[in-house]
Amino acid sequence: MQLITILMVSFLGAGIVYLAGKFFGRARNLLAVLISLTPVVLISLTYNQKISTSFYSLPFLNLSLGLRIDSLSWFFAIAVAAIGFLSVIFSLEYMRNYQRLNFYYFMMLFVNAGMLGIVLSADFLSFYIFWEIMSWSTYLLISYKGGKAVAAGLKYIVMSIAGSVAMLFAIVNLYASYGTLEISSLASLLQTASPGYILFLLLMFVIGFGVKNAIWPLHTWLPDAHAEAVSPFSAILSSILVRMGMYGFLLIMYGIVGLNLLQRLGYGLLNFNYILCWIGAITIVIPIFIAILQDDAKRLVAWSSVGHGGYMILGIGIATSLGFAGGIFHILNYAICVATLFFVAGAIEYRTGGVRDLNELGGLIKKMPVTFIAGLAGISGLIGIPLTNGFISKWLIYKALIVGNYPFLAFAALIGTWGTILYGYKFLHNIFLGQLPEKYKDVKEVPWTMQLPMIVLTLAIILFGIFPGIPLKVISMIEKSFGVEPFSTAMFGMPQGIGELNTINILAAVLVAGGVVYLLFSLSAKSRKVSQEDSYAAGSFVPEEKYQYSVRFYDQVYRIIGPYLRDVVDDFYYWLARKSKDFFQVVRQIYTGNINTYALYIILFLAFLIFVKLGRSLW
Amino acid sequence: MVISAVRMIFLPLIALVIGVFFLGLARKVTARIHRRYGPPIYQPIIDIVKLVNQESISHGRIFDIGTILSLAGSIVLVLFIPFGGIAPLATSGDLLVVIYLMLLMPVGIALSGGEAANPNVSISISRKMMLALAYEVPFLFAVLAVMTYYKTTSLMEVVRAQQNSFWGAVYLPLPALAYFMILPAMLGIRPFDVVSAPQEIASGTAVEYGGKYLALTTIEHAIHTYIVVGLFVNLFLGGGNPFIFFVKMLIVFLIGLFINAVFPRLRIDQAIKYCWKWPTILGLAGLIIAYIVA
Repeated sequence: MQLITILMVSFLGAGIVYLAGKFFGRARNLLAVLISLTPVVLISLTYNQKISTSFYSLPFLNLSLGLRIDSLSWFFAIAVAAIGFLSVIFSLEYMRNYQRLNFYYFMMLFVNAGMLGIVLSADFLSFYIFWEIMSWSTYLLISYKGGKAVAAGLKYIVMSIAGSVAMLFAIVNLYASYGTLEISSLASLLQTASPGYILFLLLMFVIGFGVKNAIWPLHTWLPDAHAEAVSPFSAILSSILVRMGMYGFLLIMYGIVGLNLLQRLGYGLLNFNYILCWIGAITIVIPIFIAILQDDAKRLVAWSSVGHGGYMILGIGIATSLGFAGGIFHILNYAICVATLFFVAGAIEYRTGGVRDLNELGGLIKKMPVTFIAGLAGISGLIGIPLTNGFISKWLIYKALIVGNYPFLAFAALIGTWGTILYGYKFLHNIFLGQLPEKYKDVKEVPWTMQLPMIVLTLAIILFGIFPGIPLKVISMIEKSFGVEPFSTAMFGMPQGIGELNTINILAAVLVAGGVVYLLFSLSAKSRKVSQEDSYAAGSFVPEEKYQYSVRFYDQVYRIIGPYLRDVVDDFYYWLARKSKDFFQVVRQIYTGNINTYALYIILFLAFLIFVKLGRSLW
Repeated sequence: MVISAVRMIFLPLIALVIGVFFLGLARKVTARIHRRYGPPIYQPIIDIVKLVNQESISHGRIFDIGTILSLAGSIVLVLFIPFGGIAPLATSGDLLVVIYLMLLMPVGIALSGGEAANPNVSISISRKMMLALAYEVPFLFAVLAVMTYYKTTSLMEVVRAQQNSFWGAVYLPLPALAYFMILPAMLGIRPFDVVSAPQEIASGTAVEYGGKYLALTTIEHAIHTYIVVGLFVNLFLGGGNPFIFFVKMLIVFLIGLFINAVFPRLRIDQAIKYCWKWPTILGLAGLIIAYIVA
């Protein structure tokens, strides 16, 4: 009953918000906040419970649609609800000057409801329905701004449909073979299936979920879509919506097929998990190096989003206790960090009149200190600087890779981190540090409703970095449900058996060392505060307001690796699209619009059928 | 408990003394190779004491915090790297933590320098970031080869394993060589002093630093030198007791200095290409061998 209430509130609430907006704009905003808050509360109440209910039955298919919650769905559901809530708060001010706000809030809440539906589904039919609700509302939200956004949305929906069709194919096949779509009964029924059949199922689902999670080579929709969507929705899209693909992977691979069967798929190193790991590694390296070359703040974060998806795939692909812990924890950490960064990019857009080009910004730290701190925390989390949440999950993934003796995968993961430092610093430097252009002299900090989500997420980054035990406890419950030896947790860092990591000691050491250095710093002669421009240029004359020093920041690296980093996959898809169009043009010739030709087709077809029939009986 | 507290206080001091000694030595040795007389070895100490008492300018809060963070990060890092078996925080973080803490130094300096609107600083930071990306590739191959070969991520265990048999460099010659080849790039000494090139970009990030800021970054540089060379001795030369450890560090540093003092500065693109060529090939080959052998 609880689960039905959650979904009812979410779906109906979206409609009520739309209706309320028809009459009072103010009431709509308040209602939207309240309705996005409700699932947060309701889901946190179901912590550590196992509930399943059925809410509808389809007698003609002999199916009943149901909902359930377990540790895996709880983990995702709470993340969906929390990020959705924060994004709605952020929207209040950010969206003020946009048109069609009723539609916007309706779609935001509707997307969230769809995602909650996905993680709470107990059978594949409702899973698929909610999946499509999510996909289509995403399409509408991506194209919301019009113009370039429509093209981005189209690219997204075409790829999304391709994925959905693959998934639907697998689902129909499951129903035809087993007569049920209930996840828990499929999990036991599939244990006796042939490896070939399992591989077929997995491939179909991998295409479906891979498009959402943007794994290489199914990633090309993501950068456009993330850059063109409005920022609060980019935050949802990049942090949690694409990770529905990760939920799908976890569900199909470990919730249904199970570890035992997976390990038997393949010979030696050429098995399903190992290949998936390598896809994850490619997904890390290529997009992260492409991110270094981006000049658009949101595109940069979007490419990093693709890259970090690779870490999660690597984590769950290794399928050890450590790997799961790292992979699943990274889903949460990345969601927090990237939502922060999209809020930061949104705050900058809001105050500078929609500027996202990193070459035009600079020096905003003095004007927007809170936004800067949020940006710094978000980037630190992405890099995984010790004492931020990203450090713990990445540490777990590296450790799992090294302990499992996969040094080459570990190299891909580690070098991805150095790529992250480069684009992360570029993001911070080009927006907040360096010169402040004349036109931004009067920029102010964003209003508090926009600061609040950033502050909350910043605190979460640090909290989970120092007390990783909080989320890891839930993750160890998920591991138990997969039949893996559960990860033993400690509040600070890792228990002795797993490895040497103690976050509280590192924190203490950093605090003490920082304190000592600060003491030395303040005991020394006082420094005089001077303006930014009052700098020493070694005798050369630096004209004011003429140059932007940070343009083409990593040009030398670009010259060396740039030629290798063309998005070949994207080019291929465009080629495919062009060729298909040509082909469809040819096909169109068949439809002449002339009744006579259609009659001819019918007669020819009948003749063909008769021929086949006769031919077979004569044989 | 008391012993470990004492160690925690003394290790950074030892690192500071050794690092400052190395800085002074580097200037003296380079001068002698150039047939100059050179400053006394204790010149960096004179500099630091003088700088602390001089007036300086600040461009804002991040300008201060970045400098402090950078030095604090290095001091913390020292606690994780065994010095002749002494490593007070070795059980709180392994080699992966060390790799990560090594980031704090450049990131702190970059944040701090970024607050000044100085073109030289921006160029210097971008060079530092690109150079770091370049040398990290062979560095990671070398470190991963060690971790793969000894099947552990703990630095203490790597050292222990070497003391029971031969040095790591005997079993892993290629990664050791790769690490040694990028040592000057990691230390930022010639021919890889693109980041602080005094004649081109007025010492880069240091151009805006005066007084105590310059003092802190000099100390940081000293400790960083200690860390990079100390890590090499731990990974490939088998550690040893504190005295032997110091002698090994000295030898490694001097050999590196002799080779590099006679080279002119590379351009940044040449530096990147260099790092991605021979050190990377050697490191990768070493990792493949370690993977097969282990």
